[in-house]
Amino acid sequence: MLWKVLLLLGLSSAWAQKLCSPGASDGYKVRLSINSALGDQAYVWNENEMFLFRATLAFAMRTYSDGQEYDVANVVVCDETPRVSFWFVVTSPLDASLLVDKRRVEEAVRKSRSRINSAFLLTDDTLEFIGIPPTLEAPVAPDTPPWLIAFGVVMGGVGAGIVVLLVSSVVQKIRKKRDGEEETGGKTENEAASDAIYNMSFSDDEPVTQM
Amino acid sequence: MGKEARQNWDNPVQFVLACVSYAVGLGNVWRFPYLCQMHGGGGFLIPYLIMLVLEGIPLFYMELAIGQKMSLGSIGAWTAINPYLGGIGVASVVTSMYLCLYYNIINAWSFWYLFHSFQSVLPWAECPLNSNRTGPIEECETGTSTEYFFYRETLNISSSIEENGGIHMGQALCLLLAWVITYLFIARGVKSTGKVVYFTAIFPYVVLFIYLIRGFTLHGAFNGVAYMFTPKLEQLANPTTWINAATQIFFSLGLGFGTLIAFASYNQYNNNFERQAIIVSFINCGTSIFASVVTFSIYGFKATVNYENCLERTRLLLLNTFNLAEDSVSMDNVFEWIEKLNTTYPQQFAEIAHKLEGCDLESELDTAVEGTGLAFIVYSEAIMNMPVSQLWSVLYFLMLLLLGMGSMLGNIMAIITPLRDFKLLSHISDELLNGLVCVFCLLLGLGFTTTSGNYWFTMFNDYGANFSLLFVVLAEVITVSYIYGIKRFEKDIEDMLGHRPNWYWKIMWAGVSPLLLITLFIVYIVNYIQGGTPTYQAWNKELGKSVVTEYPVFGQLFIALLLVSSVSCVPLTALYVYCRERKRRPAHTGSPE
Repeated sequence: MLWKVLLLLGLSSAWAQKLCSPGASDGYKVRLSINSALGDQAYVWNENEMFLFRATLAFAMRTYSDGQEYDVANVVVCDETPRVSFWFVVTSPLDASLLVDKRRVEEAVRKSRSRINSAFLLTDDTLEFIGIPPTLEAPVAPDTPPWLIAFGVVMGGVGAGIVVLLVSSVVQKIRKKRDGEEETGGKTENEAASDAIYNMSFSDDEPVTQM
Repeated sequence: MGKEARQNWDNPVQFVLACVSYAVGLGNVWRFPYLCQMHGGGGFLIPYLIMLVLEGIPLFYMELAIGQKMSLGSIGAWTAINPYLGGIGVASVVTSMYLCLYYNIINAWSFWYLFHSFQSVLPWAECPLNSNRTGPIEECETGTSTEYFFYRETLNISSSIEENGGIHMGQALCLLLAWVITYLFIARGVKSTGKVVYFTAIFPYVVLFIYLIRGFTLHGAFNGVAYMFTPKLEQLANPTTWINAATQIFFSLGLGFGTLIAFASYNQYNNNFERQAIIVSFINCGTSIFASVVTFSIYGFKATVNYENCLERTRLLLLNTFNLAEDSVSMDNVFEWIEKLNTTYPQQFAEIAHKLEGCDLESELDTAVEGTGLAFIVYSEAIMNMPVSQLWSVLYFLMLLLLGMGSMLGNIMAIITPLRDFKLLSHISDELLNGLVCVFCLLLGLGFTTTSGNYWFTMFNDYGANFSLLFVVLAEVITVSYIYGIKRFEKDIEDMLGHRPNWYWKIMWAGVSPLLLITLFIVYIVNYIQGGTPTYQAWNKELGKSVVTEYPVFGQLFIALLLVSSVSCVPLTALYVYCRERKRRPAHTGSPE
């Protein structure tokens, strides 16, 4: 009896291995770069980590696929390399010889990508599913582009500076005209003495000499 | 000559700082390091310093002397020296006008980059995503993210000078801001400019010093500095080296624009400009060298980062193709592994051989860039890799802005001072005249903010000023030495300074500088003729890089117009004055004197 059970188990695992092979049409290659991602805190890839992977994938299939009860045994892995890359296929929970369609696997992986990544403390570039491009996060687009804010501040400041400048020169001209009317004979030196703010070298109505 | 209530600098320091602020400009930062790299590193300093002594300082001195003596802008000064040669001043004003039109665009770009630095991630550090969010935009991927940001987002450049689009609103706004600030700085003439130059002259040195410290502490900076300072003395035998040194000194000091005459015209009559001329020239020279040391340490950093990224990509490629364990290949033994794998798995290796980039530090250092490419692409690439990149970015673009603004002030003064001297315009107030000039230049400058604007900018930059300046300064030095007479000039200087210029100055003015200038002039013409159709670099969207393209016919005509329009002012004005003189005395049979 026992040898029959063993034979069946051996046959099924052999079968499973035949389902999974590098380049399988319904399988995907996975590549992990643990050392690049974690540096000193990298964990060693072993059987337990592989178990976690299969469990996570089974979770993804359960939640985002057709709702059937996928188990760890339904995720078959092969061709492990020292790089830490391997191929996997997913078999249907109802019939172990049937493979789940590639597109359903891809959809499930896409939707649960962040969960899978965080289970391994990795990111989209360090845990790669070759053939499933990650959906990149949309960049946060603020309502007003930030450069416009900086521009507005500077432009406002400069504009205010110009207004102050122009107003002060108009005020000076008015004052000069008023002082010129008060004093008969237009003595320029007295004007300068009387109005401390007025700048002598500012007389812009003196014609420059010959050409 | 009655008393002229002309504006004056508050003190001689303002004058010196104004000259420094004008002479020390973007060329010191982006042209001199390039020349150093092209012409043998540290060895280039030899021709550079020799040319400074032979042509730079004497011509600088001469222009200051003319301005201070005549106390008039360039047109008035040259007309006073010789009525028929007032055209030299007109040519200077026309050239300055061309410069003002396009130079403020650079300031607009600096503003754009400065404002974009206030973000958590610098926008040129990453490629933006394409519409279905699967990856970066294709144009950005084939080029680099910094090039994409400059050519697409900043300029929105078209693929050739013939294709035109609309105005880039962001650029137009930044240009408006640049002109508004320029107006603020010159609104009251020398009174406002004199105060501003304290800041525009000194702050760039502060930033350069900070960058020097930052640069030297960067990883790989030493590679760049060593590369620069290793002199390749065989370059000294190349005549182009000497030509380039002479040209660089000439343009770096800003001779011929009429700015120096304008600045000096606001001096007190007895100001000791001799000492100031020497000081400013050496400060300009020293700043060029200082800026190149900083630039080369940044180059070294950028080259090292690129080299290490290249190694990293190669390493990943090897790991992924041959499924090796991650820690077996490190960056140090990438090359050994390549050898090993080539021999053990030749077939598999051949499959990926085309993907292998040759990673070479020397070739990364060799990429010599100048001009806007250096300032806005190479530097921003280096900055985005520094920690706290926003701070460095803000500092750097602020420095570029101040350098550009300082030079811009000089250029605008070169136009306004002669205009002021005209009796027609003397009853318009300072503020109004300056405002009108700024508005005029702004409106014309908007043409450079269109999608093909950068190509027009390059045309103006390459052809607008170079030839006419050589001509103008040659005419200046010949006029002063031979037409006005060295003896008269000597006496004028003695009148102002109290002593005559010594034999060194006289030999330079009468002999060496004119010869040098004639040589440069001839070389320029020969190069222009031999160079065939003028070309420019057009940005190709598909290839993600610039390709050399010939100017179309209207472009070439416009170049000819630029070259001829300023130079022809001299003979045209002489003709005009001659005709006017003839009309005034038609009855005289003797020579009109």
